[in-house]
Amino acid sequence: MRQDRIGFLFLTPALIAVVIFYLLPVVMTAVFAFTNMSTATGIRGGGYLVTEQTLRDLSGHGLTGATLSQLADAGYEVDTEGLAALAATFGDRLAGHIEAELGGESFATSRELERALRDLRAPELRITRDRKQAASLFQRSVLNIRHDTADALRDELTGAGIPGGDHDMIIEAAYTGWSWTMRNFELLLSLPSTARYALNTLIYVALTLVLFNVGLGLLLAIATFYLPKPSAAVFRAIWFMPRILPPVLYVLMWKWLMWDNGFLASALAPFGVERINWMLHSEYHAWVAIILINGVVGASFGMIIFASAIKAIPQTLLMAAEVDGATRWQQVRYVILPQMRWPILFVTAYQTLSLLASFEYILLSTGGGPGSATEVWAMAAFRTALNNYGGNLQYGMGATFALVLVIIGTVLSLLYLRFFNFQALLAKPRIER
Amino acid sequence: MQKYRGHHVRHWPLIAVLVALSAPLVVMYVYQIIDTVTTTPAGSIIPDGLTLHHWRFLTGPLSDGGPTIWSLAGNTLVFASCTALVVTSVSLTAAYALSRLNMPGRGFFLGGLIVLHAFPTVTLIVAVFLILQYMGLYDTLTGVILVKVAFELPFGIWIMKGFYDSVPWEIEMAGVTDGADRFTVWRLLVLPQVQPGLAALLIFSFLSGWSEFILPLVLAPANAPQVLATYLAGIIADDRFADFSLFKAVSIFYALPVLVIYLIFQKKLMNIYGGGTKG
Repeated sequence: MRQDRIGFLFLTPALIAVVIFYLLPVVMTAVFAFTNMSTATGIRGGGYLVTEQTLRDLSGHGLTGATLSQLADAGYEVDTEGLAALAATFGDRLAGHIEAELGGESFATSRELERALRDLRAPELRITRDRKQAASLFQRSVLNIRHDTADALRDELTGAGIPGGDHDMIIEAAYTGWSWTMRNFELLLSLPSTARYALNTLIYVALTLVLFNVGLGLLLAIATFYLPKPSAAVFRAIWFMPRILPPVLYVLMWKWLMWDNGFLASALAPFGVERINWMLHSEYHAWVAIILINGVVGASFGMIIFASAIKAIPQTLLMAAEVDGATRWQQVRYVILPQMRWPILFVTAYQTLSLLASFEYILLSTGGGPGSATEVWAMAAFRTALNNYGGNLQYGMGATFALVLVIIGTVLSLLYLRFFNFQALLAKPRIER
Repeated sequence: MQKYRGHHVRHWPLIAVLVALSAPLVVMYVYQIIDTVTTTPAGSIIPDGLTLHHWRFLTGPLSDGGPTIWSLAGNTLVFASCTALVVTSVSLTAAYALSRLNMPGRGFFLGGLIVLHAFPTVTLIVAVFLILQYMGLYDTLTGVILVKVAFELPFGIWIMKGFYDSVPWEIEMAGVTDGADRFTVWRLLVLPQVQPGLAALLIFSFLSGWSEFILPLVLAPANAPQVLATYLAGIIADDRFADFSLFKAVSIFYALPVLVIYLIFQKKLMNIYGGGTKG
């Protein structure tokens, strides 16, 4: 087999995964953002159903009382459907009797039909209660009957004698499925919470990145570089742990450290410090908590990248500085740090993207609280579409939130291509066939 | 190099700084272990007795009518192993094609790989949730595995490609000169060369699957295919019991495979994490 054929064969499984779980979701996020999909509308097309709630909505939209009562009570009709129901309750004899006497007739009210039934003097309907029950079987109402298409509902409305001018409004109100809309974007721009989420995200990404992923990461990498091997290994292991531990366990440790009966509160109590929940006592506590929790994990990433970059610095450079009598600080300042420019750029570029989209540790620790003080953009998308307390999940609105991140993510990761030495990657395979 | 580093320089100020910085983490690690086998009076930080009570979940259900820890561990094991196996096998072939085979569009695919590698997958979760519903795979372990595999693939292919890139061309040239086709060369000559990479990727993606929390939470929230991560998060978030010692014991049980694997493969993992994972 030729190598390009083998190549495509080898790539196919990966390509299928990419199409279904990357390309399709990117496109669908954009599509869903223009819909009002939610738990209430369902994700497939809906039907047409007039309910009590629809009537209330319609009266708010100016439908006349006469039409409304017509919708709720479209009169009584002695038809085969009603007769079949009657036969099931009262027996075939009575059904045949009624069909012969009243078949095909219509009555405006229950009272009129009951009177007609009484006049039949059938032994089965001697009691008023039975007559009422029998009459109810012939009631025709548009309410609570599900129609699959708009035309089916229109026919029903015509049959009930509802003026044609009102049909469109009723059909629109009766639609149970989702529809296309621009409302999500209007909401996004008008809600004050949007600005709050954006600002929260900015603060969260900037502080975590600068203080921990880069700052602490560099400090740890340089400090462990100068230590003898055994102690360096111990500190690296301590700081590497948070990355390897499952997030649920890692956050549990922080919760135990900070909750109002936890380590911090108990350790500080003898010094007269009030017992508080150090994670959720105030907005500031929550902010410190989520930046610490994310930052410690981020610092390990920086530490690993920077440590291997420092190792790659030619030893002669460091020796020369040493011989010249440079202090350790001067060595760091003038030899190591200038060599860290690219690694820092890499960590910044890479971690900006992942911090921008990440909300796992926030969800597990503060849950965005207190209030929505620490709610970041990615978490707002998650909550709106997949996990809110109200129970009605707003898929369309959530997708609109997500779309913003998808666009930023796509643009930044395309830019990211430039960071890489792409030409080196493209080195031509050396075997021709 | 080692000689000059330690030369007439005092280490203790540096060590003091690092100890101060690391202290909170060490406190958490230490108490994470000792709290699972001791009792501590309320409001104190000093344990006053030994107990195995916190480990009672090993022999019975965690809560009335709840699943046993063993069935949860079983689900998690299935989830993590399937993820690891599929990620590794798909990466194994795709990375070879990208690293070594001359085919049209190779540059495009490589560029795509870098973009996907950097792309924050969590942002797709809303759409993926709906797509799984359309596919009928919502609330199944299969669905979560497929999504997890897809999200891990760019990283897996990237790592595997690195291993293939370092295999000397001469090995393949020799095979091709002997008249074997590229598939045979790959299977018999190249695969043995990348076995360390294969092992590293298996371990890494197993750990990643074992620790995964968001995907099972969103894509399989019902009770049946629940994994340890979502169950543990559920009982921690449940206000009815705030038994941190029990949580800690359960989470040690949960993290045990991770810790064991970490202790054995420490070096390998440090390298692969440095290869540019997310988070």
